[in-house]
Amino acid sequence: MSELGSREAGPDQPPGGPELSAQFQGRLLLEQRSDQEINEAVLRPMFQTGRGFWILVAVLGAIVAWGLYAWGYQIYWGMGAAGINRPVYWGLYIATFVFWVGISHAGTMISAVLRLLKADWRRPITRGAEAMTAFALMMAALYPLIHLGRVWKFYWMIPYPNNRLLWPNFQSPLMWDLVAIFTYLIGSMLYLYLALIPDMAMARDHTSGWRYWLYRTMGLGWRGTEAEWHKLHRALGIFSVVIIPVFLSVHSIVSWDFAVTIQPRWHSTIFAPYFVIGAVYSGLAALATILIVVRKTMHLKEFLRAEHFDPLGKMVMVAGLGWIYFWFSGVIVEWYGNDPVIIEILNDEVFGNLAPLFWLQMTFNVLPVFFLAFKRVRTNPLLLLIVTLAVNVGMYTERVLIVVGNLQRNYLPFNWGTYKPTWVEISIVAMTFAGFILLYTLFSRVVPYVPVWEIKEGRLRYSLRRIGRLLVPTAAEIE
Amino acid sequence: MSEAARLMAIFDEAAHTAEAIDALHEAGVADDQIVVMSGVPYPERALGRHVEWLRLPYIVLAGALGGMMVGFFFAVITPNLYPLNIGGRPTAGFPPVAVIIFVFTMMATIISTFLGVLWEMGFPEFGPKYYDKSATDGSLAVLVEFPAAIEHNVRQLLEEHGAHHIRRPELKPL
Repeated sequence: MSELGSREAGPDQPPGGPELSAQFQGRLLLEQRSDQEINEAVLRPMFQTGRGFWILVAVLGAIVAWGLYAWGYQIYWGMGAAGINRPVYWGLYIATFVFWVGISHAGTMISAVLRLLKADWRRPITRGAEAMTAFALMMAALYPLIHLGRVWKFYWMIPYPNNRLLWPNFQSPLMWDLVAIFTYLIGSMLYLYLALIPDMAMARDHTSGWRYWLYRTMGLGWRGTEAEWHKLHRALGIFSVVIIPVFLSVHSIVSWDFAVTIQPRWHSTIFAPYFVIGAVYSGLAALATILIVVRKTMHLKEFLRAEHFDPLGKMVMVAGLGWIYFWFSGVIVEWYGNDPVIIEILNDEVFGNLAPLFWLQMTFNVLPVFFLAFKRVRTNPLLLLIVTLAVNVGMYTERVLIVVGNLQRNYLPFNWGTYKPTWVEISIVAMTFAGFILLYTLFSRVVPYVPVWEIKEGRLRYSLRRIGRLLVPTAAEIE
Repeated sequence: MSEAARLMAIFDEAAHTAEAIDALHEAGVADDQIVVMSGVPYPERALGRHVEWLRLPYIVLAGALGGMMVGFFFAVITPNLYPLNIGGRPTAGFPPVAVIIFVFTMMATIISTFLGVLWEMGFPEFGPKYYDKSATDGSLAVLVEFPAAIEHNVRQLLEEHGAHHIRRPELKPL
């Protein structure tokens, strides 16, 4: 038997004896682990809820409760409790809304795009990315309600005729926003759930008590027959194709909320792709941040390795380069136009009272691109954590600058003003950040964080091939 | 027709499973009487089975068409039910109509894909089923239904191809 063919674990296991396994120890899909061991390694961290976990849940719960109180305060006293006023009618709420919609874009990028491209490194991180999308969109969806003020009037946007037989105005970008975000939320949640069904069945077979009943219900009666797998694959393939234009359209539509106005610096044809690339940049960076934290706290080092962070870091870098390109393309055209109001806004950003935010944005969005060019940064969890956190601070600052910075100046100089957020706005924004982390934390303890069946499928595809003196990992085309 | 019998057998390898399925076919067991359960999706035809024709693409297309019509209704019909003249602008301009029709088409496509695949799989189905939990631990559980008269032959074939834990299965809640 040849060296490549030597194996101890049977033909369905990845090839390579113990000595080859050691050579490729950093390759998840070549590891000599039985399916049972993989199941255990994924399920074990779900049951580990020590004191630290509950303290975290309590702290996050307290922040959410405080944010809910602040929202109640705003509902009772009205929108005057927020700092928004003429001419800055959109403040932290809309900036944070745009930020969360942006964060949601990584899930689709990682899961749908890489699934279509058959990139095997996506396998252990797809579920974390999809969950991030779903929870980020849930947080984003709160902001239109919060910003509405009189939240109980929300049903006016539901498409049915009122007692004067008037329907909601679908010519309005705000209605586009509503249906686009709702579509993306529904799509992301169904996509997450569909890929989860086989792992729910796996968890059902290995648990008891309330967890058994939960997984049994969510498993829907899955047995893993060939017909079920075939149908699931076909459905996931369709989802992957359909969700990509939706993900592109959602942030484009959010950008058109701004761009269809005649507000200086918003009224730009480049706004949609600029928003989309910014969303991908911040989303991928946030995903890397989350994966590093989850890897540490849930002891998933075995599944989340350098081989996954390296390409993810490269994607963040490419998205960052794209962001710089689109940002510069927008600025150079507007600067060259020499419109007095736009020049005033640019001066205000670069040299004026917005300068600290502007330079924070540029530093934290541009410098990481250079750091990510180094493999050592991309494969070192601590360095990657610092860099990707910086990107998210930079991208949040960018959202604040777009919304607040640009609204302070317009074509009516008598109508210029400033904005300062109140404790109510800060509390509500903190509520959504805490709410996101809380939902994600609870999710990771209830649902298998690593898609077990996808990893097992990847191991079927992956093998070692001899090329001259080298043994190289290769993936078989089996779909 | 003779009485039907069932056997559940556990395999550790896909290659042996495929050989056993070929042998069962030769012994006269119809392909639709064999069910293979596993915790990992084997490539189509890896086990020598026919690939089932799916209605899912047609369900998805029908859903997309329905969504397009709903979008058209909201974007074009509803503004004309009670037309309001706003500075001479069109009641239903093309760009907003395109956005709304696109989004509703996509929404309906996504929902019809999800409902369609559940319908194709017959889910949710919580009733008792023939199943073996070892399927999620790396084994391949093969359920065979055949005329009772050839049970000895079938059992022997399964054993010859490396099956273990061969038994008459019981319907159990999952």
